[in-house]
Amino acid sequence: MNSRERVLKLFKGERIDRVPCFSGMGNVTEEGINKLGYKFAGIHLDAKMMAATAASTYRMFGFECGVVPVDLCVEAEALGCIINVYPHAEGILYPTIKEKLIHDENEMDVKIPADLADRGRIPLLREAIRLLKADIGNEVAVGSYVLGPFTLAGQIMELNDLLKLSFKKADKVAKLLDVMADAIIVVAKEYEKAGVDYLTVREMGATSDVLSPRVFKNLILPPLQKIMKEIRIYSVLHICGKTNDIAPFMMEAGPTAISVEQKNDVAETRKKLGNDALIFGNYDPYNVLVAGTPELVRQTIRKCIDDGVSAVWPGCDIWPTVPRENIEAMIDEVNKYGGKK
Amino acid sequence: MADETKKKEIFEKLKNGVIQYDEDACKEGAQTAVDEGIDANEAIFDGLVSGMEEVGRLFEAQEYFVPEILMCADALYAGLDILKPHCKQMDLGVRGSVVIGTVEGDVHDIGKNLVKMMFDVAGFTVYDLGRDVPLDQFVEEQLRTDSELVCLSAMMTTSMIGMPKVIEKIKAKNPDCMIMIGGAPTSKELADKWGADGYAEDASNALKEAIKMVSFLKKLRDEKAAKK
Repeated sequence: MNSRERVLKLFKGERIDRVPCFSGMGNVTEEGINKLGYKFAGIHLDAKMMAATAASTYRMFGFECGVVPVDLCVEAEALGCIINVYPHAEGILYPTIKEKLIHDENEMDVKIPADLADRGRIPLLREAIRLLKADIGNEVAVGSYVLGPFTLAGQIMELNDLLKLSFKKADKVAKLLDVMADAIIVVAKEYEKAGVDYLTVREMGATSDVLSPRVFKNLILPPLQKIMKEIRIYSVLHICGKTNDIAPFMMEAGPTAISVEQKNDVAETRKKLGNDALIFGNYDPYNVLVAGTPELVRQTIRKCIDDGVSAVWPGCDIWPTVPRENIEAMIDEVNKYGGKK
Repeated sequence: MADETKKKEIFEKLKNGVIQYDEDACKEGAQTAVDEGIDANEAIFDGLVSGMEEVGRLFEAQEYFVPEILMCADALYAGLDILKPHCKQMDLGVRGSVVIGTVEGDVHDIGKNLVKMMFDVAGFTVYDLGRDVPLDQFVEEQLRTDSELVCLSAMMTTSMIGMPKVIEKIKAKNPDCMIMIGGAPTSKELADKWGADGYAEDASNALKEAIKMVSFLKKLRDEKAAKK
């Protein structure tokens, strides 16, 4: 069973030899970037470089997937925001939004551009997906990700305002989130057509560290359901931070799998959602994988598996300076221990 | 001078105004305090800050979430804006200035703004650099203002990595400067490893830490008053 078969069978709900070790979020490494002779700031703007970097984590370490893009600004940029890729940064800085689309409450009535699928870097992403598929698509599953409606809304307007309005004027926010859902569906369809095997929807802005489970259910769940219904391929809903109380709602949104981070008590979530639910998680991709020792990595991976994850999968993007010995320890431990359950 | 009952009533109004994120109540309460000649510092600490302490508790108990806290903060500022011009220079034995900002690569500033609010309340001079701040700007601003405290915030793991560089540079030039780091990906271990003096992992913790500090100032003031 190769990595691709393992991951696809997992999504299908079929039996597999061990849990896979993959991600639906960014997982490029500095080692990979250096080996290719690239600069971090450059890989966001060039399909060939993006695809080659994404493939390198599989090629160099055996990480069981290929994922593009690397940053979180693709949709907002296509909607008209201006991004900053920090071209002159010495170290690694992820692109951010420099200029928002909505500046105050009165500008919330946004329309989706008719040519959204051809704006910003979406054509570049289509090309990167095709290149990545051609390169490693027979060996591993190829994935991509989009933002969730609330997280995207928090990029195109002031998060401060969005949060307060989600309380004071929930109707207005619900309307905006519905438009965001439509935009996200357009982007998701493009990635689907380009050939990804699975798509992760990253709704990290709606974590229970920020929003109450009640607001999540009333305001965030409906547009998420709308998106999940439209995605034809396998889908994963990712939310970071505290998620134990909203895990059942995450399932109700209708993804193939949910993804949670280290703050989630997976043993409890497993009990709540049952044996058949696909729960991906939940190691700390910085404090364990980058800053920890190989032994801490192994312990953490075993605990994830003992708690009942369906796939060993990071809580967020893997930070690129991950040491080789740690990523190797993780993959080795999944190989040894991942079939125990 | 207002009598004690009246005073208590006004403080309650300010406190509840913050808790119930009622900006108008805070404005009214603050204006009454000014009109009645009540000490503005007292109105801030025993009214507005008391309210924020309760908000911190409600957040911890998961009755309040971030949207509520932001609205409570607006209410607090509504009162503070009226009271501040009437504040006497506080003689707390602690006075100071702080440089605060979110590091380059990060555009999140909610936690940073909550901490800033508590420094505003405590009468600190706050040099707010905003968000997505180039690292060298923290160092330059600390030197320019000779601030005792620098607060660095990052919401994303992906932007936190710049922090040790800033800490190192500031400590090299000014070893006595205290540095507090904050944001979801930070931890006590990282704070120790990087040589920071304090940390807060999220907005609630940042709020709690800042409340703790300001509450400590309040205690000092009460002790001082008791001695008189």
